[in-house]
Parts: sequence; C-alpha cells; structure tokens
Amino acid sequence: MRDSFTHTSGTGGKNLDQRILELFHAKKGGVVSGEEFSRVLEVSRTAVWKHIKSLKDLGYQIVAVPSQGYRLVTSPDILIPAEIAAGLTVTRIGRRIICFRETDSTNEVAFRLAEEGVEEGTVVIAEKQRRGKGRLGRRWESPAGVNLYCSVVLRPPILPMQAAQLTFLSTVAVARAVAETAALRPFIKWPNDVLINGMKVAGLLNEMSAETEKVNFVVLGIGVNINMQRTQFPDDLRHPATSLALEAGKDVSRLYFTRNLLKTLDELYDSYLARGYAPVREEWLARCDICGRKVKVSFQESGITGVAVGIDDYGALLLQLPDGRVEKVLAGDVTIL
Amino acid sequence: MDIKDIKSLIKMVTETDINEFELEGPEEKIRIKRGVVPEFVQYQAPQQQMIAVPQAVPTHLVPHPVGSTASEAPAAAPVAAEKGEQITSPIVGTFYRAPAPDAPPYVEVGQTVEKGQVFCIVEAMKLMNEIEAEYRCKIVKICKENAQPVEFGEPLFIVEPL
Repeated sequence: MRDSFTHTSGTGGKNLDQRILELFHAKKGGVVSGEEFSRVLEVSRTAVWKHIKSLKDLGYQIVAVPSQGYRLVTSPDILIPAEIAAGLTVTRIGRRIICFRETDSTNEVAFRLAEEGVEEGTVVIAEKQRRGKGRLGRRWESPAGVNLYCSVVLRPPILPMQAAQLTFLSTVAVARAVAETAALRPFIKWPNDVLINGMKVAGLLNEMSAETEKVNFVVLGIGVNINMQRTQFPDDLRHPATSLALEAGKDVSRLYFTRNLLKTLDELYDSYLARGYAPVREEWLARCDICGRKVKVSFQESGITGVAVGIDDYGALLLQLPDGRVEKVLAGDVTIL
Repeated sequence: MDIKDIKSLIKMVTETDINEFELEGPEEKIRIKRGVVPEFVQYQAPQQQMIAVPQAVPTHLVPHPVGSTASEAPAAAPVAAEKGEQITSPIVGTFYRAPAPDAPPYVEVGQTVEKGQVFCIVEAMKLMNEIEAEYRCKIVKICKENAQPVEFGEPLFIVEPL
C-alpha cells in the first residue's frame, strides 16, 4: 500500500493551511471574511476556498456565514505540521515536520530521509503505522488517530560509543512530557521504559548509522500510547501496557502532547550539545525509582541480584553485588525486588 | 558430540557427493559445507566453541577462541582466513546476526556483500546500530555468535575486499 501523505512543513515560512488556522485561532471563534484572508495571505479567494475545503476534509468544522465569511467551530485532534508548529519555538528538533496519515514505520521513513541527507531535527509523524517497529523485529501496535508515532533525525558530533546516551535523553523527554501534559507521575525503568503504575506507556527504539569513529545520524523512534483504549491493546503483550487516557481517566490532546514533547526534546538536545550528558543523566536518575533499591537483572538464562546504585557515563546500570563489588550491567531486564 | 565424532562425520560427508550437511540437536548444531572456495565447518556448543576447517577436508582441526572462552580442541595451525580485513564493533553492546530472532541472518560465510549492505546489528542500551559494508567484500569468517556481548574494537567479521 502506498503511503498516504498529509503535510510537510519547511524551514522557510509557513504553509497556507497553517496561516489560515492562525487567523481563525486569532479570532477565537469569530468570523474571518474571505476578503481578510486573501488580503493577509496575499492569495485569491478561490485559493482560500480550496484550502478551507482541504481543512474540512481533515476534520475541521468550518462553516460559511453568508455575506460575512468563515467561522472555525471545532478543530480535530490531528497531527499535522500546521497545528504542531503553531506556537512551537525550537532550535533544531521540529523545525521541519513531515506528517503521514499512514506509513509502514516512521523510523524507516526517517532513516531513509537521513540517508538522503535530510537536515538535523527533522521529525516524521504518522497517524497510523502499518508495521510499527519494536526491538528485534517485534511489532509496536499502532492504531490510527489515538497515539503518537514519531521519529526524529539527529546528527550529533559524538563518537558511536556515546550514542547510547541519546536513549536516556529521549526517555527523559518522554517522561517529562507525560508528567507535564497529563499530570501523571511516570517512572523510568532502566534503560528506556516509561511506566505509569508499573505499566508501559511508551516504546522507544533508536537506530544509528555510524562509521568507526563517526556517527552519521541517529533516529530516535518514539511511540506513546496517548488515547488508546483497553480493547485496542493486543492480547499477546510481553509487558503490561497502558495509555495516558486510561491512567488520567480522560482523553489527552495529542497535539498538546506532541508539541510539548518536541519542545522538551529540543531543549534537552540543545543542553546535551552544550553541556554534555551530565544533565540528562541527573534528570534520568531523578525520574527513575530503582536507585538504592534491591533489583534483579535477568538475562536469557541467568540473573544477578544487587542494589542499583546509578548509571555510568555510557548508561550502564551500576549494580552493587552482595560481596560489595559494583558490576556494570549493559543488557538485561530489571525487576525491583 | 566430541572432536572424534565430528572428524568421522566430516569424513563420512566428504566421501559422498553431499555439498551441505546440517544436524541440529537440542544443544548443538553442526553444519558442514563443501565447495571450491574455502568453507568452514562450525561446531557450536553452549560453551561457545568453534572449530574451523579450511575446505571440507579434515586435514586439521583448528581451534578458535570465541570471546573469553578458549576452545578445548587441540592446538593446530592458525586459521588461514585470518588474512583479510577485520570488521570491528564501533560500540560495546550485543551482537545480532539477524534483524529478528526468527529471521535469516544478514550474511553468511562465503557470501558477497555489496557496499552499504548490512552485516549485523550491535545493540547498546536499546540503540540499534546496523553495521554496513563500507566496500564490496566477501565474508571469510563470522567471529561472534548471535546475541553475544561484544567489546569496542572487537572483530565481528573477517572479510576479503573485492
């Protein structure tokens, strides 16, 4: 199936849809005349009419008021660049946003665009993923219109061995956005799970293209269950999962969440480039509830038990064993005992 | 299965017209391949031993240590395939030969790999790093087992540039 493409925003100027929506939003529910649209936007009334029609197709309820103009009655909670970019001031992440109604996987699209040289900070978002990617060929359930599926292209001037630090950066960004937009208290589980009441609310999958001593690019893949309902979760989940709406008891605006997440990612990445990993690590530790607690780390066939004492410069979990030695854990599944 | 058994198995196979032979049990997997180009016999046990035999002719069995676990097979001549370029890991992580546990490996020994083609994945902290070929080459040896930890700079493959 072909990808159905919604919109893209460039770095230079805003597109017409975005400017039409801005005019409507400025009137706060009032009428905007066709004459005003064509004067401010410097386009013909026919062009305005065409764009209003395309906005209506996207779910905007716009009524024509005879001999006065148009009035925006309600806006749908859809993810299009015109809405996401409205009021979003960022340095890098989100300067260019590409939205799909449907695609196989936003990570795949972003990876391909990155290979083709797309600028740093480009964000790919889809309303639905046909084959949402999880770790090692697993699937990330991606029904249409309820969640956020997004991928961000970064070109950090770091060594490949430092790139895992970005896993912690995106985890912190998601946790912070959840806390700020849904008034919930998420906890981070090492290294990159964001949990609410012990259930997984987001999935993060980062992919890198690198040479021996140079990172070409990193794609941060972020899936957040926002308004997903209980019946939309598959039966064969590996870990218990939830959504922001299920935990908050009401729907959460996907648009508001997405804007907040991009702004947070941009701030954290800006700080990472300027000051390094330390601030990310500090916030990660503050949002994680395992430090000082007795945990078990399970591997495929074995496991070790100890007290979690922190993470090192590359994100390895530091586990103090019963004999006092501190072990660096690079992989494994952590359970609090 | 011990070295003797493998030796006789190889002998058995080489005396026939069989080009490829595979035997899989609950604990080990044995694969013997024959061909004009040098091929390898691999013996994989839970102890991570690997024995490489140039061509399918049992002239000598060569031990090759994998990770920190040295093979217990008798010492012999160095692996002929060591000459060639090493593809090393750019990060500390876990080595994966396939995109998914049930998917076929990205590459096999003897295969020609085009520039830009993926050799494997090394994962560190949920960051997946696809290692791509920087030049056209042929896989001479795969140095690590699937899902094993790898160190920074550790060889993953030996390749012959084409």
